[in-house]
Amino acid sequence: MDRSRLFPCGHSRREFVWEMGAGFAGLALTSLLSADSFFGHQAVAARVGGATNPMASAAPHFASQAKACIFLMMNGAPSQVDTFDYKPALEKYAGQPLPEDKSYTNSGGRKVGYLTPAWRKFRPGGESGLLVSDYFPEVRKHADKLCVINSCHTDSHAHGSALVAMNTGKTFIGRPSLGSWCLYGLGTENQSLPGYVVMLDKRGGPISGQPNWSSGFMPSTFSGTLFRPIGDPILDLRGPEHVTPDVQRAQLDLMVRLNQQHMAQRPGGHELAARVESYELAYRMQAEAPEAVDISTESQQTVAKYGVGQEPTDEFGRNCLVARRLVERGVRFVQLYSGGGHLEETWDAHESIEKNHGQHGAEVDQPIAALLEDLEQRGMLDETLVVWGGEFGRMPFSEGQNAPGRNHNPYGFTMWLAGGGVRGGMHYGATDEFGFQAVENKVHLHDIHATILHLMGLDHQRLSYFHQGRQESLTDVGGRVIHDVMA
Amino acid sequence: MRWSRRLYLRPVLAVAVAAFGSHSLGCATLAFTRASDLDAPDFAAPDFERQIAPLLIKRCLECHQEKDPAGGLSLVSGEALMSGGDSGLAISSGAPEESYLLERVQSGEMPPEQKGISQQLSDEEIALLQQWVQAGATWPEQRTLDLYEITSDVRGGRDWWSLQRIERVEPPEVKQVDLVSNSIDAFILARLQLAGLEPAPLESKRKLIRRVYYDVIGLPPTYEEVAAFEADESANAWQRVVDRLLESPQYGERWARYWLDLVRFAETSGYERDQEKPFAWRYRDWVVDALNSDMPYDRFVLEQLAGDELPDRSERSVVATGMLRLGTWNDEPNDPDDYKYERLEDLVHVTSTAFLSLTVKCARCHDHKFDPIPQTDYYQLAAVFWPGAIEPRDRKWLGGPTEEELGFENVLGWTDLGATAEPLHLLKLGERSRPGEVIAAGALSSVRSLARPFEPPPADATTTTRRLQLARWIVDSQNPLTSRVLVNRLWQHHFGAGLVRTPNNFGFNGDQPTHPALLDWLADELIQGEWRMKRMHKLMLMSRTFRQSSIHPRFDQYNERDAANRHWWRAERRRLDAEALRDTMLYVAGELDETQGGPSFHASVSPNALQGLSRKDAAWEASPQAQQRRRSLYMFAQRSLLSPMMTTFDFCDTVAPCGKRDVTTAATQALALLNSTFSHDRSRALAKRVVDLAADDPQQQVRLVWRFALGRLPTAFEEQLAQAHLAEGRQRFRPAATTERTTGLISLESLCHVLLNSNEFVYLD
Repeated sequence: MDRSRLFPCGHSRREFVWEMGAGFAGLALTSLLSADSFFGHQAVAARVGGATNPMASAAPHFASQAKACIFLMMNGAPSQVDTFDYKPALEKYAGQPLPEDKSYTNSGGRKVGYLTPAWRKFRPGGESGLLVSDYFPEVRKHADKLCVINSCHTDSHAHGSALVAMNTGKTFIGRPSLGSWCLYGLGTENQSLPGYVVMLDKRGGPISGQPNWSSGFMPSTFSGTLFRPIGDPILDLRGPEHVTPDVQRAQLDLMVRLNQQHMAQRPGGHELAARVESYELAYRMQAEAPEAVDISTESQQTVAKYGVGQEPTDEFGRNCLVARRLVERGVRFVQLYSGGGHLEETWDAHESIEKNHGQHGAEVDQPIAALLEDLEQRGMLDETLVVWGGEFGRMPFSEGQNAPGRNHNPYGFTMWLAGGGVRGGMHYGATDEFGFQAVENKVHLHDIHATILHLMGLDHQRLSYFHQGRQESLTDVGGRVIHDVMA
Repeated sequence: MRWSRRLYLRPVLAVAVAAFGSHSLGCATLAFTRASDLDAPDFAAPDFERQIAPLLIKRCLECHQEKDPAGGLSLVSGEALMSGGDSGLAISSGAPEESYLLERVQSGEMPPEQKGISQQLSDEEIALLQQWVQAGATWPEQRTLDLYEITSDVRGGRDWWSLQRIERVEPPEVKQVDLVSNSIDAFILARLQLAGLEPAPLESKRKLIRRVYYDVIGLPPTYEEVAAFEADESANAWQRVVDRLLESPQYGERWARYWLDLVRFAETSGYERDQEKPFAWRYRDWVVDALNSDMPYDRFVLEQLAGDELPDRSERSVVATGMLRLGTWNDEPNDPDDYKYERLEDLVHVTSTAFLSLTVKCARCHDHKFDPIPQTDYYQLAAVFWPGAIEPRDRKWLGGPTEEELGFENVLGWTDLGATAEPLHLLKLGERSRPGEVIAAGALSSVRSLARPFEPPPADATTTTRRLQLARWIVDSQNPLTSRVLVNRLWQHHFGAGLVRTPNNFGFNGDQPTHPALLDWLADELIQGEWRMKRMHKLMLMSRTFRQSSIHPRFDQYNERDAANRHWWRAERRRLDAEALRDTMLYVAGELDETQGGPSFHASVSPNALQGLSRKDAAWEASPQAQQRRRSLYMFAQRSLLSPMMTTFDFCDTVAPCGKRDVTTAATQALALLNSTFSHDRSRALAKRVVDLAADDPQQQVRLVWRFALGRLPTAFEEQLAQAHLAEGRQRFRPAATTERTTGLISLESLCHVLLNSNEFVYLD
């Protein structure tokens, strides 16, 4: 191992001003500081370089294709050997135990059964002939767009900590999520919409809740905004009924006049002016956020393609369609959850793969296929990175004798990438013959994050935030960009 | 690593072998014979202490230290240098061209690049090393180098400012005595004058009383209170306001919140089940009471770290140890044995941050990169907490002791599980699979004047007394950090920024004090005043510096020179924090329930935000509306669902200690104040409060709205604007009106809403 990477505490050059005691409004001011020792030995190099809006779109570290990311989070952990990681050996060894030399933590102390082949058939898709199971027949048609990473592994076998890890890089709560890092590094292109949007499954939020889309130790401005796909997508977009747009305009106009008077007596009140501006922005958001989720302007054909208005695809289809609309409008990072709450409400198929994945697969398969197709047809796929995966995978053996479910497996699982500069129609890495453990070109979750950031034009080693005396980054001391997956 | 890649031996010079031979005899001047063979060099041999030692410490020693040196090469002593590393000899005295060390340095391979950035030595540095080797690489006898002995431009040493003893300097003499109310002003003024700056004029009484009310109790003065103060011409009018506020029980409610931020206060565990930490609120109340009763700060520290070990232990002092129970706690960690070390980090981190403002946790896996904190120090602190309930146990105890162990029921507290504990091993690279030496409990080694081993517990002890000994070390009047850290926090909350602007980091990567003499003077005053905080508050509030205006007649000119106001040439304008904002809205609407203490209330959360919860069976149940009108201090903080209203206005992250909140301005804040039910409910209540007094007299109404919301009367122009707004509203709201809510009332609500959203309402001069 390269020792210089073991210790992350080194300075990188992106020290941020909050530690130094200035808020956003203070950014421009502090950047004027001289290097006089009186002003401290670490005058500030802010990411915004003197701009007052930390959300302003910022240049990436290097040229990249992807401008936005849609992360399809399969909450609960889909089984790799039943979806995108075909293991014919499981048919051969069916009914036998996993060899004893394979050690693992039996998450939750559940029953341990026997190796069990995929519950549905795998078939080749596209020109590449990638093998995809019958849980994803529609996605299979887009096999040539997929870069399937079969050798993922992660740091926890428990949903709570593994989900937080997939979102923030660490198994414990309190760190900024992937979307926050993207927003921090790149800003966003549409100031009238949140730059980082999260849409949950109606059945509930992910385990551990908010920390999954939190900005951790960064200002809350960088945290994910929960979006509802219908009506008013975000909190507090509308007051009581009698406060019509006219009324509100009158209120804002009066407020502006009062504020102007207030400011006239307070020279240099940048923060006061910034607050006045934030009200104008809020006013625009009230109109633009509902518009972004209003799919009535979409063609019937498009709506149908996503499975909106049909079961069981309506909910996830609508979320996928809204995700496309958000990205189209300049939102930087969108995360969609499939599965919410606990156990079988999510992809957590302890009881039955066929029942669970049959249900959840049917909910998401057509919408995801439609999203890929739609993005491509609109010429947006090259600029939009689509990520699919759960917080870990599942065991190749059953949970109990002849049992139809499978337990958690952090040692080997599959995620796939599409669009945004990714090479389609390929596999990367491999698990052992049982699909139990990543063995070839192993991809740790830090590597996934490093690669996603890279595709977004960000260097995971340079994208750091100075917090409590340390340069913090998403991948900490780890992370390796997998260049082989890039087009 | 890099050294070991070259396994072949370098040509060995006889002279070096001679040096080997002599090293067992303790001979230190190495390899001089060869040097003397040379022609007289045309340069002076570099001075070891002045030129070579600092260079080696700064650029080489981090990896080539004594323990487990990189490439087997240690550079801490002459003997070590001469014995070379895995690749053979490092230098050939007097023969720079044959010295492997110089070869590696010249090629730029050493020091190795970091994160893709070359660390190559400068030409001057390389030349110095060459000359030194050429001249025989002389190394003074007995001299060993230590990574932390001096501060360099990459790292702080034991000579770092915050680790030096507090030097009380008497206030400087200044000529303009009219600008000096007390010693604080003398320090500030002297620095201002040095820079050729004048302080701002005194703030108007109206703005000043508003400032001090928020500052001390977190609520605004009423119109009557403002008027009384404006009318009071007596000499001690200000002092009486300050005294009254500091005696108000609301002082504790305001200032407790700052402390709760520091100790990562929340009332649940976080993670999947996010269990409530029962009776966490009793710790919150303990903090409020401690502040209100002006508990000396040394006692405040002792109770929180070791309230169970004190000779006069009581239920209350054990409640104080709840501080050690507030961290996140995962009942289903990936690896329960690894998780013990995460819990230790939380305890080391909160202790070293809150009381000492050092980032000790950075030394968990390796010696600290920037501060003189070796990894052994981290483990010395960790060993202090190790005898507690760190081992995995029944999840019903939520990671803490049982009631029997604690000795009290209905207390969220901490104690050791016995008078002895298993040995704690240092973990190399922080990995459990690589245990190192056993580390005994202790404090930080870099405060040399206070270095002393911890005593074993007395024979009749039921705990190890390690926490008590650590706490006593922290509050030792000779500790250079504790009092500086505290007075800096007090200064920060009074003035808007600290004298050290990184309140949680007094180390190398932190900011340095703008006024070191003032900081030390205040720190000494705190100790002289028996650690009483109210005395320090008063000192700061009585200063002219506190009472100066936030507006300066030469703003533009001064702003160009010192935009960050590090000289304190004006007061800082400040936005109300989340608590003050919410509390004020309730207060001006006449709704604030000022009941103190007790269990927290659960705020209403919109269904959209509730979506984020994974457990339906534990669905959020809001408290009755009446209870929700209590101060924000009493709002239940659930880690998986913090109140959106609070986080939108920069409520702190509850996972790690927070010494200074962010202050952001974002559209989501505008949306919350413009549209939320909470905000509209307050506007309605304020309008009702006004109508109850003014009936439907529009002139009276407008004046009352201003008096309640802003503590003043409107100007003629404002009155005109407001009347126009009301008149328009009476037309506009016809469709919405009912017999109970007339168009006049709705218009008034609308006006109230505008004021609650105005800059004047949210900003403090």
